[in-house]
Amino acid sequence: MPIEVIDLNHSFKEGTPFEKQVLFDISLSIAEGEFVGIIGPTRAGKTTLAQHFNALHIPHKGKVLVDGWDTSNKKTDLMTIRHRVGYVFQNPEYQLFAPTVGADIAFGPGNQQLSREEIDKRVREAMALVGLDYNIFYDRDIFALSGGQKRRAAIAGVLACKPKVLVLDDITAGLDPRGREEILAVIQNLHNSQNITIVFISNSMDEVATVAQRIIVINNGKIFMDGSTREVFSRFNELRSIGLELPEVTVFIDKLKDAGFNLPDGILSVNEALLSITATLREMEGSR
Amino acid sequence: MELTKNITLGVYLPGKSKIHNLDPRTKILAVTLIIILLLLSRSYVAFAFSAIFIGALVIISGIPAGYALRGLKPMLPVLVIMWFFQLFLFKSPGATVYFNWWIFEATAAGLHMGNLIILRVLFLFIVTTFLTLTTSVVNLTDGLESLLKPLRMIGLPSQELVMTLVIALRFVLILAEELEKIMKAQMARGVAFDRGNFIQKTKKIFPVFLPLFIGAFKRAEELIVAMDARSYTGGKGRTKMKTLQMSNADFSAAAIMLIYSGIIITTIIFTPPMI
Repeated sequence: MPIEVIDLNHSFKEGTPFEKQVLFDISLSIAEGEFVGIIGPTRAGKTTLAQHFNALHIPHKGKVLVDGWDTSNKKTDLMTIRHRVGYVFQNPEYQLFAPTVGADIAFGPGNQQLSREEIDKRVREAMALVGLDYNIFYDRDIFALSGGQKRRAAIAGVLACKPKVLVLDDITAGLDPRGREEILAVIQNLHNSQNITIVFISNSMDEVATVAQRIIVINNGKIFMDGSTREVFSRFNELRSIGLELPEVTVFIDKLKDAGFNLPDGILSVNEALLSITATLREMEGSR
Repeated sequence: MELTKNITLGVYLPGKSKIHNLDPRTKILAVTLIIILLLLSRSYVAFAFSAIFIGALVIISGIPAGYALRGLKPMLPVLVIMWFFQLFLFKSPGATVYFNWWIFEATAAGLHMGNLIILRVLFLFIVTTFLTLTTSVVNLTDGLESLLKPLRMIGLPSQELVMTLVIALRFVLILAEELEKIMKAQMARGVAFDRGNFIQKTKKIFPVFLPLFIGAFKRAEELIVAMDARSYTGGKGRTKMKTLQMSNADFSAAAIMLIYSGIIITTIIFTPPMI
């Protein structure tokens, strides 16, 4: 198992009057090659949970095992864990700090004591994976990039470390629709071609519904639901009770059903919706 | 990793104690007075009295003593280095020499000088932290502004000064949060801040400060726009929603401060100084 969490509890500002527990008895495991979405209201503890996966937070109570390595064990080399589990942060501006795109992407592998050739090879690979042209962007000034390009550079910087697991923390927030689509395509492609395990934190139900195979819902620091995407979105009353919504397509189909159309349950993507609506319309035509 | 955990300067800990409820002006004046007395104190007895007094204040305020002292933790190495500097490099003719090597000479005078400086820094830090822990930012601003008002007549922009100070206090926490994010992002890409020798560690700091400063300037700019958008034009013509009002408790506090000052001044005059 790449990631195993056992009875994890975590508090902020422990030992001060402001102490606040943010995670309660969380247990879960993520298998190799999975594409897991994590959703939940803001301040539910999604980021805190995910930052345990690469030992940025060390559990106070409970355990986190990465490929069997216990992150709270003093003998565990945290650097190895952070190379195995890559993390793309909410705002890529925090991750980019070198003057040029190439230098920034080379930062991670540079910390792994690799040869110059190997670093260059990894930078090329990573840039190709996220669709940034090496010849054009290698020497490009970071601040001359668009929002979508910055995110792709940030993802490339993490990919260059060759992680087995990739945690993506709300990486589409604040992008325009095209930027979002581009980033999502990059992620899907990574998952399909490299078999990287992906943990995808998002506030957009539509995105999670299209990309994730399994969804973990976090609410108030506890696991609220954990199941396949279809299963989770079929329990919409519970989701609504904690302030989450269904994907827009699903809501639309629900409304059609209320209006008397005979459509199947659990439609999560625009494509599915299109197919079932045309099928239903044909049927109605035929019966008339 | 949590950097903000150890920052107590500029943090307000809400409470209902007698000290929380004092008028901010009383608290500011009292703290100023304590600081002046601390700077005048040169004897261990005087510091002992101050320690008892400040300890009592902390107990009355209900602030956990451990938390009040927590902010010192990151400063500890600097304090220790300062102490050693004084011990080995402060020279005074005729003082007892404990130890002598090359240019280093540990003397009794150096020891006491080191102690004096450490005590001063410690006490100053605790007293100022105590002020912000028991006074909300709004109260602190109002209090300072009201105290500085007379200086407007000689052209001192008191309201603007206070606003600057308050923003600076707020930024301590904001910058710490930002620093934590940047460090985490770099740790995630394999930087081990706690590894290597002194020079290697220092080198790792530069890539952290670059984005931190850029972020700070950006934030400052956003803040300016946000203030401008809400028609901030400085102190002139600004009125208050809440006006400050002294109560009986403030007069009792003033009386207590008078007694305390009397004791400290007496000890300063009649007890032997450290050096």
